[in-house]
Amino acid sequence: MNLILEIITPEKIVYKNEIDELIAPTADGQIAILPNHIGLLTKIIPGELIIRKGNSQEALAVTGGFLEVAKNHISILADYAIRAEDIEVAKTQEAQKRAEKLMEEKVSDRDFRMAQADLIRAITELKVATKYKRRASKPTEV
Amino acid sequence: MANIITIKRRIQTALNVSKTTRAMQMIATSKLKRAQDAAISGRPYVEKLMFLTQRLTNKLEEEEKSDYMKTPKDVTDALLLVISSDKGLCGGLITNLVKELLDQDTNNKDIKYITVGKKIEGAVARLGKEIIASFNFGTTLPIFDMIYPIAKIIDDYFLNKKIANVKILYTHFSTVFYQSPKVETILPIKIQKADESNEETFPFTIFEPSAKEILPSLLRHYLEMVLYQYLLESYLSEQAARMIAMKSATENAKEIIDYLRLEYNKQRQEKITNEILDIGNGASAFAYE
Repeated sequence: MNLILEIITPEKIVYKNEIDELIAPTADGQIAILPNHIGLLTKIIPGELIIRKGNSQEALAVTGGFLEVAKNHISILADYAIRAEDIEVAKTQEAQKRAEKLMEEKVSDRDFRMAQADLIRAITELKVATKYKRRASKPTEV
Repeated sequence: MANIITIKRRIQTALNVSKTTRAMQMIATSKLKRAQDAAISGRPYVEKLMFLTQRLTNKLEEEEKSDYMKTPKDVTDALLLVISSDKGLCGGLITNLVKELLDQDTNNKDIKYITVGKKIEGAVARLGKEIIASFNFGTTLPIFDMIYPIAKIIDDYFLNKKIANVKILYTHFSTVFYQSPKVETILPIKIQKADESNEETFPFTIFEPSAKEILPSLLRHYLEMVLYQYLLESYLSEQAARMIAMKSATENAKEIIDYLRLEYNKQRQEKITNEILDIGNGASAFAYE
């Protein structure tokens, strides 16, 4: 029996499919979930989600949320999630710079927190993007 | 014949107005559609979050509960979050909201306010009440990032026990034709206990880290999500109200145009008749000579 994975963000359902294995960054470290996993509720920290299905592998960047496993059904409630191939590197780099600049200036506590959140998001996205984008785009270069 | 020119001008004015209102109606319609889509697509997340929160709180004893779920003692002050639009021209929406606000004010004098939207900010300021913070609502679909500063202020006040509860005043979206102001309590969070005897829907679950540690962040999330849903609903109401208001404005403008056209034609005909009479009289005067 396969695992069913559902990634839900406040805006939409990002991913819904049958998978073989999920690797997720949790508050207590990285975990892998295989079929017939015990019921689990845990917190996700910003990082990359790796989804394995057959021989193919897919990566997503997430910025925190919750993960629930119940009877081979994984639900991830993420604040924000994006597929590696959808990440726009240039835009994200710009966002990172903007956030860094904001944090250097002495802004109000509120702005600082928002900039911090943006920065974490940008760094996570870039990490995932640089890791997977090159590999994914190779066939098109030839 | 100055009068006839005035009527012509008035027709032109009414035409221009009807063009503007029709455009506004169309914009509101498309925004309403998008907002409805957003509200629907956000629903799975909210449902799942509610479900998880419910399960988690079931596992915990009363004293283990998070501060979000307890009513602070020895304080009577309340915090009211009022959500309105930034722009007017949306029928009775804001008037109704202000009415409800005044009602709340007479019921409890110790209310602190957070306002979202320029329209209500002025009304609260006129009451002479303490406004902790005010935000703009914007004219596009509210984005989730709007919530963070609001949630942070609420956190500050509620978790430091400066206030007894947090309520929200928003415009409830019943149908496209009917929206009404409504007050809901958002803090302390009250979650119904679910029956966990059914193994099918509640399989054995481990919590990592412990349920007690997950709960605060889950509840915080829940709070943010609830706030966002209210923002979305207020936005929906605003667009629906504007759509209806602009539709009736367009219809009224058309009525005025019809009436003015009739008047214009009448006067024009009268003028022509008078001229013909003049010419006729002149001609007959010649004939007699």
